[in-house]
Amino acid sequence: MKGKAPTTKTILCLCRDVTEEDVRRAVAEGYDDIETLKRLTGACTGPCQGKTCVESIRRLLAELAGRELDEVPAPPRRPPATPVRLGTLAAEDEP
Amino acid sequence: MSPRVIPGAVTGELPAAADAVVIGGGLQGLALAYELAKCGCGRIVVLEAHYPGSGGSGRNGEMIRSAFATDEWIGLFDDSLRRWQTLSAELDFNVLFTRAGYLLLASTPEAFAGARRNLEIQRAHGLGVELLGPDDVKRLCPEMAPEMIAGGIVQHDAGFAHHDATVWAYARAAARLGVELHPYTTVTAIGIAGDAVRSVTTDRGVISTPVVVDAAGGQAREVAGLAGVDVPVQVFRLEAMVTEPLEPFLRPAVSSPAIMGYCHQTTRGEFVGGTEPEVPIPCDSIRSTLDGARDMARKFVRLFPRLAGVRMMRHWSGVVTQTADIAPILCRAPGLEGFYLDCGWVYGFVGAPAAAALMAELIVTGETPPTLAPFDVDRFTTGKLIRETSLVVAASEGSAA
Repeated sequence: MKGKAPTTKTILCLCRDVTEEDVRRAVAEGYDDIETLKRLTGACTGPCQGKTCVESIRRLLAELAGRELDEVPAPPRRPPATPVRLGTLAAEDEP
Repeated sequence: MSPRVIPGAVTGELPAAADAVVIGGGLQGLALAYELAKCGCGRIVVLEAHYPGSGGSGRNGEMIRSAFATDEWIGLFDDSLRRWQTLSAELDFNVLFTRAGYLLLASTPEAFAGARRNLEIQRAHGLGVELLGPDDVKRLCPEMAPEMIAGGIVQHDAGFAHHDATVWAYARAAARLGVELHPYTTVTAIGIAGDAVRSVTTDRGVISTPVVVDAAGGQAREVAGLAGVDVPVQVFRLEAMVTEPLEPFLRPAVSSPAIMGYCHQTTRGEFVGGTEPEVPIPCDSIRSTLDGARDMARKFVRLFPRLAGVRMMRHWSGVVTQTADIAPILCRAPGLEGFYLDCGWVYGFVGAPAAAALMAELIVTGETPPTLAPFDVDRFTTGKLIRETSLVVAASEGSAA
C-alpha cells in the first residue's frame, strides 16, 4: 500500500483498528449484518466490548444498507462489562 | 442494496421447488449442501433461522483432533482430520487451520494408564500420536502447572481452526456451486405424503422437495418433531471465554479431563477455552452465567497459573444437543423416506467435513458408507451404543468423562 494515498483513516473500532473503509469494504462484499460484520472485522469484540464503536458502526451500516437506524440492532452485550483478571474471578469463591 | 448477511447467502423469493432442502445454515448444513452440490444434486436450498453460523458453529471451542479411543470415532473423525489438512485450498478460503498439535492431558496415574491403552488403537489406525511423559508435556507446555501433569497423548497433525471462517468458507464454496442459502428464514412445517417428505413450509413460503435434512443443531429435535420423527437428544448449555491477547505461551490445543476443560491460544494471542460442570444441566438458554465465568477462571488458573493476571475479555454460551453416547446422529430417518438426520453433535466442528461428505454419499447413492453406519439413530433402540471413553464432555450418566 506504500505510496498510495489511503482512502480513509477514520478508525471506528479503536480496540481492533477497524476503519470506516474496512466496514465499507466488508459490507460491499456481503457482510452487511451487524452480527457477521462484527465477526469478520472483530469490531465490538475488543476490551471495550463495543462501548466506543457500536453506535458509529450501526449508523454506517444503516446508511450503507439503506435501512433505518432502529432496523440495525446492536449485537448482544457479553459479560464482563469490563475485562476482569481471571485471578480475581477465581479467588472470589474460594473458601 | 439488499442485505446478504454473508457472501454466498441470497435474498429474494424462495424457490417453489428444490431437489433438496437442508434445514440449518450452520457448519453441518452448509458443508452438507456443498457436498451435495459437488455430487450434482440439482437445486439445493439451505434454510437458516438466524444468521449463518449463529448457533453452535460460531460458539464452539474450534479444536480439531481424531485421536479418540474407539474404531467408530476414529473412523469418522480421522476422515475429517484428513479433510481439514486441505480444507482452505479445497474451499478457496482461509479457515486458519493451525496444525499446532492437540494434547489430551493426563493429570493422574490412572488417566495416564488410560492414555497408554488408547495409544494402541490410535496407532492401529495410523494416527500421528505420541505418548508423552511428564517431562515431555512440560517441554510442550512450559507454562502448565506441574501438579496437573502426569503425561498425555499429543496428536501432531491436529490443532484448531477459525469457526466463523469455516462457516463462511463452506457458504461461499456452496454458493459457487449454485446452493441457495436463505438466512432469517424459519421452518414452520414439514409436509408429508404417505411415508415420504414432500415439502418444507417456512415463514417466507413453501418449497416442494423430495429430500429434507435436519441439520438444525440446537433446534434439531423440534425440526424433526415437525416431521413426526423422534431425535433422542438433550440440550445442554456450555460456556466459553476469551482473554485479552498476550504473547505466545501455548502452542497446542489442550484438553484436560481433570478440569473438564479445553483451550487454545489463537494466532492473535487470545487464550480461548471452555469448561464444563461435572454434571450437565439441561438448559436451552444461551445466557452466560457468573458461575460459569468463575468455573472457567478457577480451572484455567489452576492449569496455567500465569493466567491469574490476564483479563477475561468476553464470555459467551452456546448449546449442544447430546445423545446418550455423546456421538452424533447421522442417518436416514426411520420410517420417513427422504428425511435425513445430521444432528446430536458435541464434537461437530471437527466432525463436519467428513460427516458432510459421507451424508451426501448416503443421500445420493442410498447406501450408508461403512464409516457412517455406527452413527445410525437406531442404536438407541437396539442398545448398540458407542463406548467412546476419551471425550472431555460432561455426561448425564457420568461415564463419558
